[in-house]
Amino acid sequence: MSNKNWESAPLMERMIFNNRLIVLLLFAVITALLGYQATQVRPVTSFEKMIPLEHPYIVNMLEHQDDMSNLGNSIRIAVAIKDGDIFSTEYMETLKRINDEVFFLPGVDRSNLRSLWTPNVRWTEVTEYGFDGGPVANRPAYMTEEDLDELRVNILKSGEIGRLVANNFKSSIIEVPLQESYPNPENQSELIQLDYGDFSKQLEEKIRSEFQGENPNISVHIVGFAKKVGDLIEGIIKVVMFFAAALVITFVLLMIFTRCLRSSVTTLVCSVIAVVWQLGLLHTMGFGLDPYSILVPFLVFAIGISHGVQIINAMAIESVDAGDAHTAARRAFRLLYIPGIVALVSDGVGFVTLLLIEIEVIRELGIAASVGVGVIILTNLILLPILMSYIGISKRAVERNRQLSSRPQKLWRFISGFAHPAVAPISVVAAVLAFAFGIYYGQFVEIGDLDPGAPELRADSRYNLDNDFIISNYSTSSDVLVVMVSTPPEMCSAYDTMEAIDQLEWRMNNLPGVQSTVSLVTVAKQVIMGNNEGSLKWQALSRNQDNLNTAISRAPEGMFNASCSLAPVMIFLNDHKADTLTRATAAVEEFAAEHDNENITFKLAAGNAGIEAATNVVIEKSQIKMLLTVYTVVILMCLATFRSIRAVLCIIIPLALTSVLANALMAFLGIGVKVATLPVIALGVGIGVDYGIYIYSRLETYLRQGMALQDAYYETLKTTGKAVTFTGFTLAVGVATWIFSDIKFQADMGILLTFMFLWNMFGALWLLPALARFLLRPEKLRS
Amino acid sequence: MQQPHFWRISSFEQADVQQPVPRSTAGRSRKIVMALGLTGALIGGASLAVAQDANTEALKPAILSLKASKTLLLDVELVGERLVAVGSRGHIVYSDDQGESWLQAPAPTRQLLTSVDFVDDRHGWAVGHDSLILHTSDGGESWSVQYRDPEIDQPDEENFGFLEKPLMDVWFRDARNGLAVGAYGLLLRTEDGGQNWEDASFDVDNPDGFHYNALTEVEDSGLFLVGEMGTMYRSTDYGYSWETLEEAPYDGSWFGVAGTGEAGGVLAWGLRGNMFRSTDFGDSWEQVELLTPNNGPLESTLSGGQLTADGRVVVVGVGGVVATSDDHGRGFKVTVRSDRVALAGVAGLPDGNLVLVGQRGAMKTDAQGVSKSSSAALTLPEPAATEE
Repeated sequence: MSNKNWESAPLMERMIFNNRLIVLLLFAVITALLGYQATQVRPVTSFEKMIPLEHPYIVNMLEHQDDMSNLGNSIRIAVAIKDGDIFSTEYMETLKRINDEVFFLPGVDRSNLRSLWTPNVRWTEVTEYGFDGGPVANRPAYMTEEDLDELRVNILKSGEIGRLVANNFKSSIIEVPLQESYPNPENQSELIQLDYGDFSKQLEEKIRSEFQGENPNISVHIVGFAKKVGDLIEGIIKVVMFFAAALVITFVLLMIFTRCLRSSVTTLVCSVIAVVWQLGLLHTMGFGLDPYSILVPFLVFAIGISHGVQIINAMAIESVDAGDAHTAARRAFRLLYIPGIVALVSDGVGFVTLLLIEIEVIRELGIAASVGVGVIILTNLILLPILMSYIGISKRAVERNRQLSSRPQKLWRFISGFAHPAVAPISVVAAVLAFAFGIYYGQFVEIGDLDPGAPELRADSRYNLDNDFIISNYSTSSDVLVVMVSTPPEMCSAYDTMEAIDQLEWRMNNLPGVQSTVSLVTVAKQVIMGNNEGSLKWQALSRNQDNLNTAISRAPEGMFNASCSLAPVMIFLNDHKADTLTRATAAVEEFAAEHDNENITFKLAAGNAGIEAATNVVIEKSQIKMLLTVYTVVILMCLATFRSIRAVLCIIIPLALTSVLANALMAFLGIGVKVATLPVIALGVGIGVDYGIYIYSRLETYLRQGMALQDAYYETLKTTGKAVTFTGFTLAVGVATWIFSDIKFQADMGILLTFMFLWNMFGALWLLPALARFLLRPEKLRS
Repeated sequence: MQQPHFWRISSFEQADVQQPVPRSTAGRSRKIVMALGLTGALIGGASLAVAQDANTEALKPAILSLKASKTLLLDVELVGERLVAVGSRGHIVYSDDQGESWLQAPAPTRQLLTSVDFVDDRHGWAVGHDSLILHTSDGGESWSVQYRDPEIDQPDEENFGFLEKPLMDVWFRDARNGLAVGAYGLLLRTEDGGQNWEDASFDVDNPDGFHYNALTEVEDSGLFLVGEMGTMYRSTDYGYSWETLEEAPYDGSWFGVAGTGEAGGVLAWGLRGNMFRSTDFGDSWEQVELLTPNNGPLESTLSGGQLTADGRVVVVGVGGVVATSDDHGRGFKVTVRSDRVALAGVAGLPDGNLVLVGQRGAMKTDAQGVSKSSSAALTLPEPAATEE
């Protein structure tokens, strides 16, 4: 090879290959820097990022966040006794020790801790002389039957049954309000942010394992936002393990494909470097690893491998007649850098459509994935050929390639049959049926989360089992829609306000799917009744303002804000299915339209159900928008590349079939369209289009050379069919490990992406040639 | 003569008349005097009135709801074959199958209704908050407003804030003559079937304006009226002149009163399981001992009750208490329902079964107050028999 030959090479190639050592050094330095950054990446589950911040519900919620700060952030620990009931020395002693242990956990708002052992849990009784009352637990210990009998009587009088004490008296709850930030015990002036992951771990170690281990008759159940987030963080950490599995499986696939250890290892290393860069950049850009964006390293790795394989494949073919590794690498680079960049850029564009969705985690996922594919251009299109130019492909692999290219290949011969004039119509009919089937089943896809409990976690996860325990033993629901009733200052207790809230509550109570409602009105009615010697005939709002003011002054914290301008109405729902949420929010909106005036406005929404309702609206709206955008982008890209509408149809129809069938699969598996599954559509389409592009471009080349369709397709398969199948499998492997994630939505994403990656590959191999039979006119291409 | 005067509350600020802005609850909440922590209690604006057309413009009709028979109901009455019950949010429900199923009657209010009384199987009256009096002439299927507290529509701005006066009980002697009694000594009387209601509050010597909680007719004797802080009154001329009983047996509040079916026999009950019985129209009293099924003293508040058509006396209370007597109130058998629901009223059916009303609406039960099906809803372990 003379240097002169290189002079005519493209600028890009000369710049890179004439300065190989410098480029390598540069890569080494950047990798070191970003590698350090990557080690700093921490799992985060920022709550605000998972919700549609621009939706009016959420805008309202954030506007009043401070007013409702006392409503939310607490955990509940149910301590249950398996054999016997809570009226036993064994139970009360254990409860006391757990109570004390919880008291000293950092971040606990100690003054508001509530349990049978705290003095703020009281019984009251109306007597002739006024209220009589006292703490429920008024003994230092419950050792005798008499003490326990008194406890029983006090509990009955406390009105806490169903709230703090289970309906079946076999468990009771410790309510633990949390402080988002708390003073450092060593330095009181410094505030420490509550670390949910660490807090959750302490609960597991110091409470659950400790006490369940000590007495098998005791079981501990913990629910609450902080615990859920803690479990999510734990789940993220576990997902990192899956990366190792993906790595191993991919390595095996690579070995099968290349039969060359060094090129397999090099491809793997380059792809891992891509992941390191991506993570490093993520941290540099100020992002953490949330349960969604943790998908990106897997994707980057898989996409990196698939492009690396193209390089290796090309090098192996070139090595047959190129004299040395350097030449082979340069030729492979020259052959692939433009199509490679085009394919990666198109992936990136597909990901960028995620920015259209007004939910921060999805946007960050889009950004992270775009950054990731950008990184792959550098690591697998530049670094990999340079490394390979030093290392070279093993002689054995080159030899094998030489043999393969000359031998007829049965599999590809068989698959090329799909282009046969007799088979193609059958395929097209089958595709039409599949479309019909998919569209029919696709109607049953629901928006939002469908499973009970915390939808982020699996139905049989520890958290959801605990949640079930508490829901079935206490009069409580975990799905709460909060309506914020806003008034001018000092007006939250005005009769007109209270009366309107009362009307809202009753309307909601009559709605299917609503269990009960609570607001300051509910409380006020009870207090007014209590102030009238507990007479049921007084259980109504009073028109006397002083009565109302007195009544709400005894309401628990969080029922109205400090300036008495905001009162939340909590609506407890049966579930958080889209239907239930839509019905509830529609009813509130209708009510608001009738009753809003200058003195009172009913604002949606807070509470987990409110957030989910808003998310559902955004998701539903975005779903169509995103599908349209991603398909428009893909169609335009194909048009730009092939300048033929027929070509576009050949590529897009199999892709659309995949989308439709994926929808049907979601309906079949009971996976709703939600924050987690929405990006899957863009990812599936964006990456899936690659297969069609690879196959079609080769096919077109052979057709231009004058081959008959089936022959042209056979040749296509012989050259790129292998790479395409390999890509399909590596991508699928990268995400399939997710199916085993503890985090439900990651598993859902894993299932859907695996399906889409495999089916896109299959669609490209099977349906594309059949469509080509009908749509393409080879004679026209030839001319 | 009608100086507004303040009791129960040691200090009372005058509300700003021009700006009826509710006072802040934070920092300015008033001290509540014991159990009677009712702020702003005063007797004002009670002029000898002049019945007037009820202003029904501002009234919102009750919402028809499937849950109407399952939420707070306060009183129930057997009218021929039909049961009629009243309660929260203007709910009036009736049952033609002895309490198995209920229909809601359209009613012109959303206020809490406290009591209902029929003179025959067509004419009935229901009373409630806002001093509302509703009337039906078709056995409870449709209702119209006869009276409403006039102060609601013409607030006395000069005064000390609005004093709500819910009516607590209603009793009609026949289709023309009836009485309604309520909070702060309110007593209304009609002689024309409710076309006109006269404020007869000053016929009773009740200078402190104690609440009247219940009114009943006593066999061969007259009317008996009980109320707050142990107050008792009787009227031998069925509501025109009232005698205050100075020697009340108890100074806690009475929530209910019923005849025993014997001449001059009266039963009155109230807070903490207190029940007293008189055989001489209130001249002398003796306490009726009520024991829980575990033979402990009953300490739940007793709210409503009645003498049934077949001569039983049934009294119900909070905490799921149902007390029945077959011997004119000499002795009671007490049932504590497993759901411990707060009960407000009861009606006895001809077959001996009961219909209870309370916090969770109407429930058909056996003669002892035990539901056939609802016992599974909530079960409480009973304490071992407590001594003393």
